[in-house]
Amino acid sequence: MEPGLPCFIFFTLVGFVFTSFNDFHHNNTQHHDYCVLGAGPAGLQMGYFLSKAKRDYIILERNSGPGSFFEKYPRHRKLISINKIHTGRRNREFNLRHDWNSLLSDRPDLLFKRVSSEFYPPADKLPLYLSMFEKELGLKVRYRVDVGRIRAVESAAERSYILTDQQGGDYTCRVLLVATGLWVPQMVEFVGSDLVEGYESISTNPEDYKDQAVLILGKGNSAFETAQSIIGTAGRVHMLSSSPVRLAWQTHYVGDLRAVNNELIDTYQLKSLDGLVEARLEKIVIAERKDQCKRAPGGKKKAKRRQFYLMLKKYPQNSHDKNSSGVTQEELSGYIIDNFPMRKPYDRVIRCLGFRFNFSIFDSSASPPNSENAKGRLPGITAWYEGKDSPGLFVLGTASHSRDYRASAGGFIHGFRYTARAVHRVLEHRYHGNAWPSINLSTTQLLSWILKRISEASGPYQMFEVVGDVILLQGPRCEYVEEFLLQALPRFSSLSGHQVSSHGFIVLVMQYGKKKIDYLGHGRAETDWTKAWKSNFLHPVLYYYDRLPTEEEMRMRPHGWPLPRPKAIHHMVEDFLTEWDGPLSHIQPLRHFLEHCVQTDLRAFYADSCFRAALTHRKPPLFCQQGYLNRQGLSRSTQLLQHTFDNGPPRSQHHDAGTSDANPAFPSYLAPAGGCLSSGLKLDFCQLH
Amino acid sequence: MGWPQDLRLGWPFVAKSTVLKPKNESESELLMYKITLFLECGSAKPCCLNCFCVCRGGKEFLSFDLDTVFDVNSMVAEVLFAILREEVKYVHTDADLLAMERTARGKKDMVLCYVQSLGTQEHRSIMETAYVYGSKHQFILITGGPVLKQLGANESSLSSRVWFLHCRIPGGFSTPTASERCPVTRMRRALSTLNLHSFLQLMEAPLVLEVDVDPSSVPPPQFPYQLTPQVFLFSRPATEHLDRDAAGALAWRLRGVALLLLVHRQSPAVKTPEEFNVAYRRPEKVRQFRGELNDEVAASVFENTGNLMDLDSITQLTSENFHSEVAQSSLTVVLFYLKWDAVSMAFLSSFIEVAEKLEGKLVDDVLMSVVDCGEWTDLCAAQPSALVPFQPITEFPRVVLLRPQESPQYYESMLGSEALHRFIILLTVFADASAFVEAAMSLRGEVLSGLLMDGPAEKWYLGVAIEPELTVDNLPSFLSLGKALLLLFVGEEEDEIGQRQNQELVEEMRRAVELGGARMERYLACWIHLGSTPAGMSVLGSYLGYMPPLPALVLTHLPNREEVYQYPADNVVAAPSVLQWLQRIEDGAELPAGNATRQLQKCFEQSCQKFLLLHKHT
Repeated sequence: MEPGLPCFIFFTLVGFVFTSFNDFHHNNTQHHDYCVLGAGPAGLQMGYFLSKAKRDYIILERNSGPGSFFEKYPRHRKLISINKIHTGRRNREFNLRHDWNSLLSDRPDLLFKRVSSEFYPPADKLPLYLSMFEKELGLKVRYRVDVGRIRAVESAAERSYILTDQQGGDYTCRVLLVATGLWVPQMVEFVGSDLVEGYESISTNPEDYKDQAVLILGKGNSAFETAQSIIGTAGRVHMLSSSPVRLAWQTHYVGDLRAVNNELIDTYQLKSLDGLVEARLEKIVIAERKDQCKRAPGGKKKAKRRQFYLMLKKYPQNSHDKNSSGVTQEELSGYIIDNFPMRKPYDRVIRCLGFRFNFSIFDSSASPPNSENAKGRLPGITAWYEGKDSPGLFVLGTASHSRDYRASAGGFIHGFRYTARAVHRVLEHRYHGNAWPSINLSTTQLLSWILKRISEASGPYQMFEVVGDVILLQGPRCEYVEEFLLQALPRFSSLSGHQVSSHGFIVLVMQYGKKKIDYLGHGRAETDWTKAWKSNFLHPVLYYYDRLPTEEEMRMRPHGWPLPRPKAIHHMVEDFLTEWDGPLSHIQPLRHFLEHCVQTDLRAFYADSCFRAALTHRKPPLFCQQGYLNRQGLSRSTQLLQHTFDNGPPRSQHHDAGTSDANPAFPSYLAPAGGCLSSGLKLDFCQLH
Repeated sequence: MGWPQDLRLGWPFVAKSTVLKPKNESESELLMYKITLFLECGSAKPCCLNCFCVCRGGKEFLSFDLDTVFDVNSMVAEVLFAILREEVKYVHTDADLLAMERTARGKKDMVLCYVQSLGTQEHRSIMETAYVYGSKHQFILITGGPVLKQLGANESSLSSRVWFLHCRIPGGFSTPTASERCPVTRMRRALSTLNLHSFLQLMEAPLVLEVDVDPSSVPPPQFPYQLTPQVFLFSRPATEHLDRDAAGALAWRLRGVALLLLVHRQSPAVKTPEEFNVAYRRPEKVRQFRGELNDEVAASVFENTGNLMDLDSITQLTSENFHSEVAQSSLTVVLFYLKWDAVSMAFLSSFIEVAEKLEGKLVDDVLMSVVDCGEWTDLCAAQPSALVPFQPITEFPRVVLLRPQESPQYYESMLGSEALHRFIILLTVFADASAFVEAAMSLRGEVLSGLLMDGPAEKWYLGVAIEPELTVDNLPSFLSLGKALLLLFVGEEEDEIGQRQNQELVEEMRRAVELGGARMERYLACWIHLGSTPAGMSVLGSYLGYMPPLPALVLTHLPNREEVYQYPADNVVAAPSVLQWLQRIEDGAELPAGNATRQLQKCFEQSCQKFLLLHKHT
């Protein structure tokens, strides 16, 4: 018999009973359409969207205030998320590109800069900001509700989740949004792992490390942050992990080692007794010297400092008990290889290996699987952040980072605030029939609108290669859908409620170059627009498809690409100022690409040129059709130079990744090249090529 | 070329530090000419002060004042000119030129150069070319004046130019003129070393090539002519002699522009249909390195970015001052724009013109303002509310007119200073005169401005649709009627007689409309005055493939038909014959205008910028 069935019957009954009691404020079971688990940045961010959409929701938080992770972490109390207040710009959207701590809302003043003006703000300011965010927006948060168990129940009509708190109270919800963050310290089992201190409990007073030899396991930001704090007092600091250190400025990944924390690299390379070593943690042994302990005379009260030795498992150990952490001198790696780099003992070994998702509160009926990446520390989720095998359960915030692990900003506030918005749009469509918000534009306005997005949009800029704008081409007009989840593109229609017409669509993505280069070396920047595809720094890339890619195509996409091979692709050359507004280098090549996609001349014309075109062509250029022929032609300004009409035909500067140039789906606009060689009245607008 | 290896350039006293830099730059460039630059000549003694000297064999050879050699171009140009001063001749009068032509006859071709100012990039290009081609052609520098006149160029507007004088008599085809002067070809492309090189190469190409294969199987021109179009003329055995002459004559006209090939049609390999007597092959498109803006609006705006727009006369609205500013004025005209949108910027320029015009007048309380939507994106995209009364702006440029406590009004007329100015004036006039307030409320904008416009436009707005003048402003209204257009193109009158003639023509059209009665309802008869609407000129050219004599009567925009019909040019425009002509078109008895040759002409006209008239074979 299926194990779920009794549960189902039970809860249907219980649900019935409690529903009838709800009016009497019965305290034991509450029903909500949406339960948000955790009042951290992601939970509150989702709370804002739910509240704005006037949905029935509740945010449950086990602690007494929001963002409690930041009450304790980072241990050395300095946030490395940039709080750049001074950008020289007043564009709010643009400024969010440089504000890594604020949440999204429609309040222009509800920004992190209100609580701190420091570039790397103190960690205490984050709970303060979150608390302000929650109060000013009136979000519904229930504090001190510690959910210990989550089950899923399924009826014929729908699936719901039941959350049980510490007092046995139940919360039933149709949609569960898990924003619990990562709290459980990540540990690795090896011989002697019990001798190691954890980042979560070490002393943060540098004085406690005076003259000590310290071995830090891990090379992430928490490891380096710890090293940085003791670098002035410790005798020597060694850092060990399986892979070499990854520098954020080389990988463009904000979770890799940031320059703000990397003093130890300096001291290592400037020969100041610190160093980095690579070894797999599973292969190491941490041990105390047995013989040393024995030698201590029994009568002496003075406790000798404990000393730890690092050894490698591959060297033989005579000890009978393989798991014991006591060794003799003969067993020490340094004794076997006389220049073993870590042959000297350590006073402390500190584990700084990051955190993992707390799977333990999920019943098997509700638990998302372990992610395939990130050593399984994160829940496995779909491209739209729904738990794999747990429909109706979505993962938000840091815990959702498996989608863009070590790639984009989805594990950080400045990234997941956008994925939370995207998930909310998925929910609005799936449960309330509201299609994703979109803007209907005239195709002649598309160029300007894309340039506007490129110059200011913070979502695609922060969540590069993860979210991108989708432009649905519909002939003379188009539908602009902002910030869709790129990996979910095969399901675009069912997730967004928008249909792709036969005209196809364009996806606007911000991406870095794929080539590993010397990021500070000569020739690191491409300046020639004809070689825009060689751009290394973050730059806009447009993909044109005539239909949605399939799941299979998405899976088989070229390595490192955010999307499968399109019919046509256009790179906009990288721009030192990240504004992409050069008339020749950025705007004109983009227009040529769009002209190719929409098979229409997208140039602008003055009224007298439209006059000529209207008299000599059945269908003058789109710009003339929509402007001049609607009596809204553009007159020449006397202050501007006069330019002649005959500036040549539209040309395409793009790399056609697809097959043919001439698309039979666009017959009504642009006659094929060379097809206008006739005097008399021309049917469509085009010129001799 | 055997230039003395020991040529040295001395630079004894460099007084100005700014000169050092070009020196270093030109050093490497001069190396190409086997010239070395030294700080001093062979001897320790400086050759001159504050100057730049060229030494040969350890002795001073030439010196220049530092004022004449100010950068790399000037330095290279001056040094090469000094070296070549024996070879490159100066010619001041036409008589001198004629004398030189006589000596060169049959021996050498000549390259005639006019440099507008010395030391420029053009000067350098010419000297560099002379350095390479000096022994092959005679290079001549002219100083303007009479020689330019002889070449048919106007000195005042002339930039640097190059002409090629064909003084060696070319064999095979006769020259177009039998005079004693050498035939001249002017270089049409911009003066650069590269263009000069390809121009001179092209001068050596055979004038006419004869082939027995189809144009499609003739290979495209090879290096160095790969950028040159090919023109194929078809010849028949019967007219072979004439064809050769025609080809020769044409080839002379096209020299430097296109390569001419004569195709013998009798060959079985020639597959081109009989109806064509000319074929044309454009050069392979070369990838532009930087390219030019090919959008006329963008080009006019962005190439003008040096002249920053003066925003003093307009108020810049922001998210912060928007509400207070709007509340203070009885009428706020807001232009929403994007800096990178060329149309926005072109219109912004007109908008400023209007603001400046209004500033001088006593127009009460009109605030001319702009919002930069690239910066104040939250204001432009705001959802409508009491504070932000307009819809989110998704179209640029957009003009919205705001009055306190009233719903916004969107400006939907021509994006130009005249139209906007008229619109605003009317609004304020009507709003002020209380008797008209009500009328103004309902008639604001388009209709109003139409009523008050004078001249022919008034007529059509009032519903009179007979023989109106077609202008850039009113064409959209005419086209929306969906009728075929019977267009009379009249030229600009030079005197009263001309005016009278034009009036009579228009009268005749009116008579035709009256005479035709109901039959004429499917046509919209109107006239274009090429003086007031010069854009009509190229329309006419495009219809027919050439510029016909004026007046010209044309029928176009027939429903679902592309053909254009031209009223016979030798017929007088008279109502009855116009009606007969229309009847013949309806009966299918008239041939549409335009044919293959004209298509080619048109195509050629666009590519070569030179009007070329090809005659049909007889």
